[in-house]
Amino acid sequence: MTQRPTRTGELLSIDGLKTHFYTQDGVVKAVDGVSFGIRNGETLGVVGESGCGKSITALSVMRLIERPGRIVAGSIRLADRDLLALSDEEMRDVRGNAISMIFQEPMTSLNPVYPCGDQIAEAISLHEGIHRREAGDRAIEMLSQVGIPDAKRRAREYPHQLSGGMRQRVMIAMALSTNPELLIADEPTTALDVTIQAQILELMKALRERNRMAIMLITHDLGVIAEMADDVVVMYSGKVVESSDVNTVFEQPHHPYTKGLLASIPRLGEKRHRLEVIQGVVPNPLNLPKGCLFKRRCPSAMPVCDTPPPLQEIQPGHLSRCWLTPAGEPPEIGADAEAETAVAAAAALTVEA
Amino acid sequence: METTNPGAQPAAAPAAGETLLRVENLVKHFEIRGGLLGISTIGAVRAVDGVSFSVRKGETLGLVGESGCGKTTLGKVILRLIPATSGKVTVKNRVLFDIPTEEERKAGRRATVLDAGEMKKARRDLQVVFQDPYASLNPRMSVGEIVGEGPLVHGLTDKGKREDLVRELLARVGLNQSHIHRYPHEFSGGQRQRIGIARALALNPDFVVCDEPVSALDVSIQSQVLNLLDDLQQELGLTYLFIAHNLAVVEHISDRVGVMYLGMMVELAEVDDIYVRPAHPYTVALLSAVPDPNPRNRRRRVILKGDIPSPANPPSGCRFHTRCWLRERLGNPEQCTTVVPEFREIQPGHAVACHFAEEVTPDTIGAAARTGGPVAS
Ligand SMILES: Nc1ncnc2c1ncn2[C@@H]1O[C@H](COP(=O)(O)OP(=O)(O)OP(=O)(O)O)[C@@H](O)[C@H]1O
Ligand SMILES: Nc1ncnc2c1ncn2[C@@H]1O[C@H](COP(=O)(O)OP(=O)(O)OP(=O)(O)O)[C@@H](O)[C@H]1O
Ligand code: SF4
Ligand SMILES: [Mg+2]
Ligand SMILES: [Mg+2]
Repeated sequence: MTQRPTRTGELLSIDGLKTHFYTQDGVVKAVDGVSFGIRNGETLGVVGESGCGKSITALSVMRLIERPGRIVAGSIRLADRDLLALSDEEMRDVRGNAISMIFQEPMTSLNPVYPCGDQIAEAISLHEGIHRREAGDRAIEMLSQVGIPDAKRRAREYPHQLSGGMRQRVMIAMALSTNPELLIADEPTTALDVTIQAQILELMKALRERNRMAIMLITHDLGVIAEMADDVVVMYSGKVVESSDVNTVFEQPHHPYTKGLLASIPRLGEKRHRLEVIQGVVPNPLNLPKGCLFKRRCPSAMPVCDTPPPLQEIQPGHLSRCWLTPAGEPPEIGADAEAETAVAAAAALTVEA
Repeated sequence: METTNPGAQPAAAPAAGETLLRVENLVKHFEIRGGLLGISTIGAVRAVDGVSFSVRKGETLGLVGESGCGKTTLGKVILRLIPATSGKVTVKNRVLFDIPTEEERKAGRRATVLDAGEMKKARRDLQVVFQDPYASLNPRMSVGEIVGEGPLVHGLTDKGKREDLVRELLARVGLNQSHIHRYPHEFSGGQRQRIGIARALALNPDFVVCDEPVSALDVSIQSQVLNLLDDLQQELGLTYLFIAHNLAVVEHISDRVGVMYLGMMVELAEVDDIYVRPAHPYTVALLSAVPDPNPRNRRRRVILKGDIPSPANPPSGCRFHTRCWLRERLGNPEQCTTVVPEFREIQPGHAVACHFAEEVTPDTIGAAARTGGPVAS
């Protein structure tokens, strides 16, 4: 398979990433051949159900995968740097400067025994080599920028003294204090109430505009994706099943999983009606079906789906991992083609993303 | 009028149909203990602070509000899973309890509480489905035991017939009948929630409190459970109190919707009314905060400032005044900070607790949406 050509101005490029966990019960292929890129100033939304590999993809970019997990294949590039080839020390430097991450669980990344302001100041002083005193003033400035009232007093407080919304803002202030080129935000608002979520999303938009940073935004909330993202990647069981610009994904989804997701959510302002459902549950990662991972739940499943489907280009820039043609018909080789024919056809139809 | 007792709210009357549940001036305070020995009371979390409403037979009343506003506490107090501080709850014309306030007690009014035997009977009609499908099922009991326990305790079945009953219930909620001997950990989140629903249905209740029954589930599973709840309501004529913080889910399932803020009901109306013409500034903000899964509709929203205040120390007057965009727009009228707004009907069946609800118009909302924003600069 050929390598995906780097699009111009791509800041982050992930190609064929595989991160597997070698557990006692077997190998969990948490991320299994994921490719995508993000340009400067762009927001890429990553959606998918619990356990589909969103966080592990993010942690792979940060190179924070711990045993029994391991990145077993693929490449991750940040501008012209090959992140997987960097030494641990060089990677620490990347994490403190070029890339920041807001973790899914804010309490795990804030140190409970230090005041919030000190933690941000520490990051700033490491990043810029300035004095702690000056860094402390900058930290307070950051806290007030993210909408924390009375920032001077709050800077002296410990994480447990803050509400969930404030902790999340402290995390954001810390992540942004080093002016990163890439912000990875893993479910930054999922634990928050909607009115607080709205505050945080507004804040992220304002800062994105000001700093022109790229954002990888992970969430399972399609509303948040619609609101924030330029491009969208839909993951299912460790694989990208569909990707395109945000309007295309919402208006002309191709993959039956994406279609099912969009049809199953109740939306504000829509009259009471029966919701569409996706039958069944996500497959057990230790016991994945052969062929298309979605086939047991898929309303369009055909015999040919026992062979792994191609990653097809539906339209320029719109990819879908499904046997259906761009028009939604069974493939030319027929719905019940022989396995050998199917394997060859899949290879021919696949565009390496 | 300076109202010191926020419990003095009129019940927003159901428009039609027989009343199944009536809640009057319900109050639940959790004492905060402190002092040297940790036994003196140093304050109270006013989790539910004077809530009144009724639910008609066969309808779904949705209850929304942000974390900590008192939704779960309200549901538990109604079911008598925890005792009320004061207030009255009536189910099918039977008073579950009627507990006087401190002042009323001093004036000599006595509490009425249904005795244990009567309560046990009443409880059959009142069931609950909890939020967390992992924590709410006993891991050491099989599905058959979990679902069949209630009917056994209430003498509705015997050991011999229990299995048939459970199989029937499992089929009803869409679970495989042959899974009757399995344990909770062998099921997915959505399946566990179905077990919880089967358990609630086992006693043939009239009224089910659904406390965030889909919040812990993935979107593709959420719709399966919502449809199931819908079907069961149609088939069995159930009445639901449906608690959730997802406004789209609540809109989908409810006939009427109540909005809570810091222990109080601030708005209650028919679902179409409240979603199309919200009359409380908080409801407006809550609705506008919901991200719309339509990328072409990146609208401006009313962003509230600050965090939700603590229910142990709620703001004076209108509890929403510290975050209220309308108050700011009206030049900070004193009333908002000094007088508790009455929960009043602005239209038949549409009650709201805001002094200036009439000023909530498309114009004022539009202006607030343009000037909102938490970023300092
Ligand atoms: N340390 C580990 N050992 C074994 N398996 C793991 C480990 N960490 C993650 N996994 C598995 O990897 C898969 C992907 O997990 P990941 O955390 O990326 O999911 P996610 O998409 O972020 O889900 P969520 O929406 O719940 O956060 C899951 O099946 C998970 O069980
Ligand atoms: N047993 C208790 N002791 C003391 N305080 C309590 C207790 N139970 C609840 N509270 C407090 O009462 C308030 C209301 O809590 P409740 O659980 O009813 O909120 P909720 O609206 O259900 O929130 P959520 O959406 O997070 O479930 C909160 O401030 C909570 O901390
Ligand atoms: S009473 Fe005042 S503070 Fe309360 S919601 Fe109405 S305008 Fe806002
Ligand atoms: Mg995750
Ligand atoms: Mg609750």
